[in-house]
Amino acid sequence: MKEERLEQVEKIRRKAEYIFALAGNPNVGKSTIFNRITGMGVMTANYPGMTVELNLALTEMDGHRIGIVDLPGTYALGAVSEDQLVARRGVLQGRPDLVIVILDANNLARNLYLLLQFLDLGCPVVAALNLVDQADRAGIYTDVELLSEILGVPVVPTVGVRGDGLDEMMHQALELARAKEEYLILPFSYAMDIESRIRRVAELIQDDLEEIPNDLSSRALAILLLEEDEEFIEAVNEVVGGQEILEFSREIAGEIEEEHGEKAALIIARERHGIAGSIVANVQERREYGPPSLGERLWELTTSFKTGIPILVVVMALTFLAIFWGGGALAELFADFWESVVSSPVGDGIEALLGVNMFSQSLKWAVDGVGAVLEIALPYLLVFYVILALMEDSGYLNSVAFLTDRFMHRLGLHGRAVIPLISAAGCNVPAIMGTRVLSTRRERVIACVLIVLVPCSARIAVIMGGVARYAGWELALLLFFIVFAVIIAAGLFLNKIMPGESTGLVMEMFPFRRPSLVSILKKTWLRLKDFIYIAAPLIIAGSFILGLLYESGWILKLITPLQPIMEGWLGIPAVAGLALIFAFLRKELALALLLVLAAQAIPGVTESSSLLEFMTAGQIFTFALVTAIYIPCVAALAVLWRELGFRDSMLITLSTVLLAFILGGLSHLVIILI
Amino acid sequence: MLTEKMEEYLEALFKLSCEEDELSPTRVAEYLGVTAPTVLDMLHRLESEGFIRYSSKGKGSHKGKSHGRIKKTITLTHKGERAATTLVRRHRLSERFLTDVLGLDWESAHREACKLEHVISPEVEERLAEMLGNPDTCPHGHPIPDENGNIKEETEEIKPLCELSADDKVCIAMVDEEEPKLLQYLATLGLLPDVDVEVKEVAPFGGPLLIKVGDTQYALGREVASKIWTKKNRGGGAKRKRRHRSSGDPRKK
Repeated sequence: MKEERLEQVEKIRRKAEYIFALAGNPNVGKSTIFNRITGMGVMTANYPGMTVELNLALTEMDGHRIGIVDLPGTYALGAVSEDQLVARRGVLQGRPDLVIVILDANNLARNLYLLLQFLDLGCPVVAALNLVDQADRAGIYTDVELLSEILGVPVVPTVGVRGDGLDEMMHQALELARAKEEYLILPFSYAMDIESRIRRVAELIQDDLEEIPNDLSSRALAILLLEEDEEFIEAVNEVVGGQEILEFSREIAGEIEEEHGEKAALIIARERHGIAGSIVANVQERREYGPPSLGERLWELTTSFKTGIPILVVVMALTFLAIFWGGGALAELFADFWESVVSSPVGDGIEALLGVNMFSQSLKWAVDGVGAVLEIALPYLLVFYVILALMEDSGYLNSVAFLTDRFMHRLGLHGRAVIPLISAAGCNVPAIMGTRVLSTRRERVIACVLIVLVPCSARIAVIMGGVARYAGWELALLLFFIVFAVIIAAGLFLNKIMPGESTGLVMEMFPFRRPSLVSILKKTWLRLKDFIYIAAPLIIAGSFILGLLYESGWILKLITPLQPIMEGWLGIPAVAGLALIFAFLRKELALALLLVLAAQAIPGVTESSSLLEFMTAGQIFTFALVTAIYIPCVAALAVLWRELGFRDSMLITLSTVLLAFILGGLSHLVIILI
Repeated sequence: MLTEKMEEYLEALFKLSCEEDELSPTRVAEYLGVTAPTVLDMLHRLESEGFIRYSSKGKGSHKGKSHGRIKKTITLTHKGERAATTLVRRHRLSERFLTDVLGLDWESAHREACKLEHVISPEVEERLAEMLGNPDTCPHGHPIPDENGNIKEETEEIKPLCELSADDKVCIAMVDEEEPKLLQYLATLGLLPDVDVEVKEVAPFGGPLLIKVGDTQYALGREVASKIWTKKNRGGGAKRKRRHRSSGDPRKK
């Protein structure tokens, strides 16, 4: 996967004159800047782990074509976590002409750590001092010129969300890239004894190592070896003369440890923090703290247990209501419009044009498919995506992670996993990829299982658009509770049977930020675009195929084998089984096709009551329950396979199918009994 | 009367004796970068003036029971200790003055202070301390002895972070080294020994802790917090060897 991506860097390199890499800590507004300078879509997210893969784009500046590589947000370039490794590989193997490091002006000392590491690696750097507007409000003043002078790199103050300073940043970068200067002398140095030891290792590397991995400078490699970096130790081991150097660096690292009482890696980290701290002391001034900002007070309310839990419950309830009312109202609106303006005239038009035959009838199915998209999926998705974006951008998800940490431990996870779990309610696919922020395989497997069980927006649309709309909101709520209970049971169960223990939570907490409307709309649109371009055509095509099957009479042959399970066990019409099978492509298909089927089964009725004449409330409930739990859709299965491998992804898929049918059967039994 | 050389030795002996139980002339020679005979010379002189005791270990010095060689160690007398703490006090006060008032960087301040400590009179020392507001530590974080030569004893026990409560302000003493990756990750986040930490909030029922380090807030699960040991004050405390905090002056070319 990684090699493939880097191949893409090469592809972009062929098209572009220069390659710039964008780097920065999580949540410094890097993705926003990436979007701004490239003008195309990558999601911005207010939490770590969203962009674990490299994002690439082409842009133009002063008539030069520039390729931009967006590295994952990371605190450092070590080998201790996946995002750090990916970022490092992006730089070492992608070989950008320079790195633009985005710094948070509010937290400069911690942010400089990463920049110092890039300098240690010998990368040419341009720094963007972002969020200066926020810093200004917080009373933090930075002497940008002095900072630039001390670091020996260009520093540009920016406000990413407004686009301020980004042109200047790109100008500076372009100028630096065009100068193609070899990086001169480092503007800082570590304590003398550390520095002299680094030099001794570097000298030996210079003399005895045939080839330095990744064309690093000998100093950079010496530091990495003293830090006991696994990846580079392995790489050096394979080069002629490597073993000797490893032995020597071990010896020197031992000396440092002997003298300072802690590992060389820690001493070097300490040195970097020390340098970063003293730079900040030189360049920043802060006024006395004013009263706590609204963001800080909100933060305290949402993380303190007494107020946080009620707030969480209220937020969840409001989300449910907003989707129910908001989505419902939109659905009515779209449905009215569709039925009065488009559906019947177009249907009549098709019949008038093609006559009444199998093909024209199937086309009418397709038209009903478009209607289903408008009535079911789109309104509910739209509302949900806006809410999800709001939670992400405001930083509320961080509070949730903090509040739920203890509870997540019961499920074998920790608070940080709650973020992919909640975003799974948007779409399972990015959520599964987001599990890479978890450090052990055990956690990732558990998280993936739970994510697959979390109803994604498509399934929420099925539940809200089907169950809540036709069978009543109480049943929809009940269904959510059942799914929730299943998720918790699965977590408890896996935590019990899987060997190993859950690891701890270490997560940076961000204050609340005022979400920007533009960013929320952009995010909503990006997610919706995916639905409109990929899912909607599938629904329409699926409707058409279903129509062909129906009109030609083939459908009877296909549904016969489904009959015993569908009618006997689940107690729902066998035709609905087809909708379930199609839903493997996209979960929205389940309800959309069901509606199309219903519309056709009861001719003349296209009112919202049609589904109820086709199926009872209980049947709709069972249908939605099975849809919510059985196999993830094709896309989710694909990423699951990639992340966990064949065996585990198959195991998860089969167990969800089994579970769905067991629960569906039980639901049928209960319905019969009452 | 003490010469500057003798003062140097006393200071070195004082620093070494804080870290090591047994002091040998070879260790002193190594520390000062001189030869062993030079050290022995000076040790005899200091002993004759009553600043140190240089004898075999134990109370009644039983000479060589069965082995030929006797292990002799150096200890400071009370007089020696007073002289040494006065020097350390003057050195560290000068450093404070040089960095805080004159704006020198740590390294130059240290060099200058090495010279100043020998020429500062008790009166200047007193005024200096007064002007600086009787600081507790030097810029490197080492404690400054008071005028009676007492150094704040840090014998307090260390506590894991998870046992603290909201609003506690502590300093990290050490991090369990069982999980090197966690340790390194924490290090990159700035969670290192000798770093000040403020506990902002502790979630009940074994929930995570919210801590503040510098300008950053982190949520730490209990498991992680139980691996981070803290103490009330900077410096001293946990059993650690010599830790020199770097100067790291950014503008040094």
